Amino acid sequence: MDLIRFPEMSRGSLRAMRQTIDSGFRDFTRAWGDTLEAIFAPLQDLLTLIENLLIRSPWILVLAVLAAAIWLASRSWKIALGSVLALLVVGYFGMWEDTMRTIAMVAVCTLIAVVLGIPIGILMAQSNRMNALVTPILDMMQTMPSFVYLIPVVMIFGLGKVPGVIAVVIYAIPPVIRLTNLGIRQVAPDVLEAAEAFGSSSWQKLRDVQLPLALPTIMAGVNQTIMMSLAMVVVASMIGVRGLGQPVLQAINQQYFTMGVMNGLAIVAIAIIMDRTTQAYGKRLQKHTEAGK
Amino acid sequence: MGRILASTTLACLALTVPAFAADEQCGSITVAEMNWASAGLAAWVDKIILEEGYGCDVGLVAGDTMPTFASMNEKGEPDMAPELWVNAVKEPLDQAVEEGRIVIASKILSDGGVEGIWVPTWLAEEHGIRTLADALEHPELFPGAEDSSKGAWFGCPSGWACQAINRNQFVGSGAAEKGFELVDSGSAAALDGSIARAANRKEGWLGYYWAPTAILGQYEMTRLDLEAEFDRERWDSCMVKPDCAEPEVTEWPVSDVYTAVTREFADKAGVAMDYVKSRAWSNDTVNEMLAWMVENQASNEDAAYEFLERHEEIWTQWVPAEVAEKVRAAL
Repeated sequence: MDLIRFPEMSRGSLRAMRQTIDSGFRDFTRAWGDTLEAIFAPLQDLLTLIENLLIRSPWILVLAVLAAAIWLASRSWKIALGSVLALLVVGYFGMWEDTMRTIAMVAVCTLIAVVLGIPIGILMAQSNRMNALVTPILDMMQTMPSFVYLIPVVMIFGLGKVPGVIAVVIYAIPPVIRLTNLGIRQVAPDVLEAAEAFGSSSWQKLRDVQLPLALPTIMAGVNQTIMMSLAMVVVASMIGVRGLGQPVLQAINQQYFTMGVMNGLAIVAIAIIMDRTTQAYGKRLQKHTEAGK
Repeated sequence: MGRILASTTLACLALTVPAFAADEQCGSITVAEMNWASAGLAAWVDKIILEEGYGCDVGLVAGDTMPTFASMNEKGEPDMAPELWVNAVKEPLDQAVEEGRIVIASKILSDGGVEGIWVPTWLAEEHGIRTLADALEHPELFPGAEDSSKGAWFGCPSGWACQAINRNQFVGSGAAEKGFELVDSGSAAALDGSIARAANRKEGWLGYYWAPTAILGQYEMTRLDLEAEFDRERWDSCMVKPDCAEPEVTEWPVSDVYTAVTREFADKAGVAMDYVKSRAWSNDTVNEMLAWMVENQASNEDAAYEFLERHEEIWTQWVPAEVAEKVRAAL
């Protein structure tokens, strides 16, 4: 027996297998492409709406609204002022429109990730079987090289925002799911016992005990999700998503060092603004619940 | 006496066994395996012929036009880029050649690279579309734009030299007024994906593409007549500039596609350099091999062996008879 050469499938059958799967996928895109596209059409409309709102409104108004939103969430003059300054600099260097596109994209992706992710995380925390089922899927989503699924997504949805959002959400949703799960599981059992002793239903336990106590961990998850969707901006631009990723890609391909760094820094600026704002918001939520006690 | 003997031996060696001399001269070289199919195929054909025929030790390194060119230019590595599209790196390449860092060894595609605006052939026949102007009359035939009421014109991937050219063709043809939107394709993979998608669904597709490529071997596409001559002056002064104010539709020039090597390789590789100089193939050959590759899901390596078996009449002309014999024996 040959122990050096690994006993592998014959080239012919491997090829036949790949061809069968490929043509199966092709048939699937032919049969379901239109339907899937129709399902995701509202997403496209939402994205276009937000983007147009940010780009076509007077910039000073957009800046004021963003600053107000940041202040309302963080209640910190320092963060609001810093954000305004950062956005002014970014705009002055000619990246306003791309920045607005990226903000729209990241905001929508984060929203989707949170809306889908927190319930999934809660389900995972409630059931060990669910946990065992979802964890490997999350591992796959985080490690599968994104181009592997980007091209099939393009085959179904074409180029543009929707495939971009799907790719970003796939990559960015795991932290919020994982940390929601973790946060709820870490709630001390004696606290839950106490809640049970007071006769709370499982819904009350979840809403009034587990979620509030898990909140710092969940907020850390949301935070990570935002960071990861920003990190995906450049990859998403490879399938035609407009925004700060495109000039970065262009700069990489043409070796325009300054252009790459400037647009990269604009992404960093958005990341820091969103990070500080959500963190301050998370802290405020906690204080709020503590005061309520 | 000793000196005479030694020099005679050397002379004999030099006269009788050139192939042996090649063994000594060639040594180990690195070849860029670019990330598109035709160049990957060329890299593997070179690897097989140089290793089997000339006894070189060839290492392949992954590459892409800009990074590979920059690395060859600055670091002298890899030694050879089998397929370099000159238009993409025109200015820096001219400079590197002038300063002697890079040597253009041969024109690998004998009929040059073809670029243009393409539509699926079935669509062209069905609607009698022959020219770009014909196609622009029908934005409804070309879905894929973000604004679904508009036609999509798929552009060149971000950061490629063709991005500016394509934008200028788009503006110059007045496509925007005719209801088209320029869709930035982001990357070659995504551009391919959009073509495959359109072909799968039998939808229209209009955009920039180039030959020789697997896509054009695989899907039947028709290159639209731009109804404009190539104009060197307008091309250089306007079409290649991203901020050209008043672009006009201009036919693409045939792209020169060269094999470029570093100065060091040109000096040290001797006989192998003669091979590289005479190596050239036509677009038809490459399209045929690429289509074979896609059909059989073959790797660059498989396709290189297939090429060597199928097209002996082509490659045996690149090498001396005894080298051809050695390569044949290795197949």
